[in-house]
Amino acid sequence: MMTDDCITLKDVAIGYGGHPILNDINFSLKAGEFTVLFGPNGSGKTTLFKTILRIIPPIHGTIVYSNGSLPRFGYVPQRQSLDEIYPFTAGEVVLMGTFGQAKPFCPTPKTDRIWVEHCLKDVGMLELKKQLFSELSGGQKQRILIARALATRPNVLLLDEPITGIDFAAQKMIMELISQLHKEHHLTIVMVTHEIYSIPKWTDKIIWINNNKIVLGNTIEMLSIIENQ
Amino acid sequence: MEQLLEIINPHFLLRNALYAGLIVGFVCPQVGIFFVLRRMILLGIALPQVSNAGIAFAFLLHTIGFHFLPHMESEKLMGLTGAVVFTCVAIFILAILERKRKGFTENRIGFIYALAGATSILFVSWNPYGQTEVLSVLKGEIVSIPDMYLWSMLAIYGTIFLCLVGFHRNFVLVSYDTDTAVTLGKNVILWDILLYLIIGVIISFGVMTVGPLVIFGFLLIPAITARMVTRGIVPLCIVSSIIGVIASFIGFYISYRFDLPTGPTDVALLCVILVLLYLGKILIRFKR
Repeated sequence: MMTDDCITLKDVAIGYGGHPILNDINFSLKAGEFTVLFGPNGSGKTTLFKTILRIIPPIHGTIVYSNGSLPRFGYVPQRQSLDEIYPFTAGEVVLMGTFGQAKPFCPTPKTDRIWVEHCLKDVGMLELKKQLFSELSGGQKQRILIARALATRPNVLLLDEPITGIDFAAQKMIMELISQLHKEHHLTIVMVTHEIYSIPKWTDKIIWINNNKIVLGNTIEMLSIIENQ
Repeated sequence: MEQLLEIINPHFLLRNALYAGLIVGFVCPQVGIFFVLRRMILLGIALPQVSNAGIAFAFLLHTIGFHFLPHMESEKLMGLTGAVVFTCVAIFILAILERKRKGFTENRIGFIYALAGATSILFVSWNPYGQTEVLSVLKGEIVSIPDMYLWSMLAIYGTIFLCLVGFHRNFVLVSYDTDTAVTLGKNVILWDILLYLIIGVIISFGVMTVGPLVIFGFLLIPAITARMVTRGIVPLCIVSSIIGVIASFIGFYISYRFDLPTGPTDVALLCVILVLLYLGKILIRFKR
């Protein structure tokens, strides 16, 4: 259901320490839309992604969220960025998704535990909830991180390179899972990738970062432009 | 057996030393977990040394006539103030440099360790009257702990323990995945500052009471040992404190029984527990 603009970027410049790496960014993400943020390594995809998430402040310009309030983000980071020294079980990782509402000095409510099990079930990982996160395969870790993002009860799901570094069968499974979540939960999804073959044709829009410029359009149109480059 | 009964007697002469050791053994591993998981072990070596430099500096000031209070307790209070100030300043400088990603972490910590080690010795050598006191702190002689000191320790460590338990989810999330913490609306800087403050206070107070070696040992070894044998963050927290308390009690008993310094005995025992559990783990894996 694509109706209202969910997130709008107006004349935004992004970068680190006041040094812009991308300027004049103007686009909107509509509610329920599946957008792919595509570009080569080092093009600024993750920086743009983190700016949308408010992890990094924009250098200038404004980011407007629908209804004036910040949507609830479900964030799936690159799994390589998480240190394996932490002895978390898969269930504990998913439980982190509920920490946004957690009250200090209170034990985890039973409703949150049930919700976590529901999210694990959604991604087909319920039976592995007591397994150590560090002992899971790349594809399994990715599913757990998606379950954690779902545990935040998100309006917008943002996935940073969700299929990078995992085998083809697992990639297919992850993409099917994301597609299923998109359809069933009517989530607005933004997925970052640098691999053109991983972009499904059924997605709505591609934002392509090419030579420090942003080009956007519908998926079919953009795929043919990118492939002809 | 006789000595064991003597130790657990509530009128035991050195009971405060035993209680202080148990408090350290119970609370320090909870902070140590963050040292191990955040890969800050080197900081766990450097900060007690910085704290020690603060104590030596405070004793030097006391000897040359700078007093907070007119009686003997002023010396300990100044020592504690010196330890807290030095440790907190060091930890915040290191945290700021870490955030700004200036240079290498190991280089900074190594520099701080060397500087703190050298200055503590210099402060002690300039202060002939304070040498005995500072050297006993360095050796980890947990013998004479006044009631007031024990109660303050219980209050401070108790508050820290409550904070760690009450805000456990925030500390864990901010340490593990900063970006997700931000997206969940957590103020990462605030939680980091609170954690560093807790680290600063626990180290300074602990060094003043039981010495840098004991603090370093109880911060890190129980957490490392527990990580080896547990699955999940909650079991890690529980088991590390159990190891700390057991080592503290048995260490105290051994030191009393065989007339050994308590601190080094505790730390040696912690190392023995670690090695035994490691060998046990290998054996179990081998049998499978």
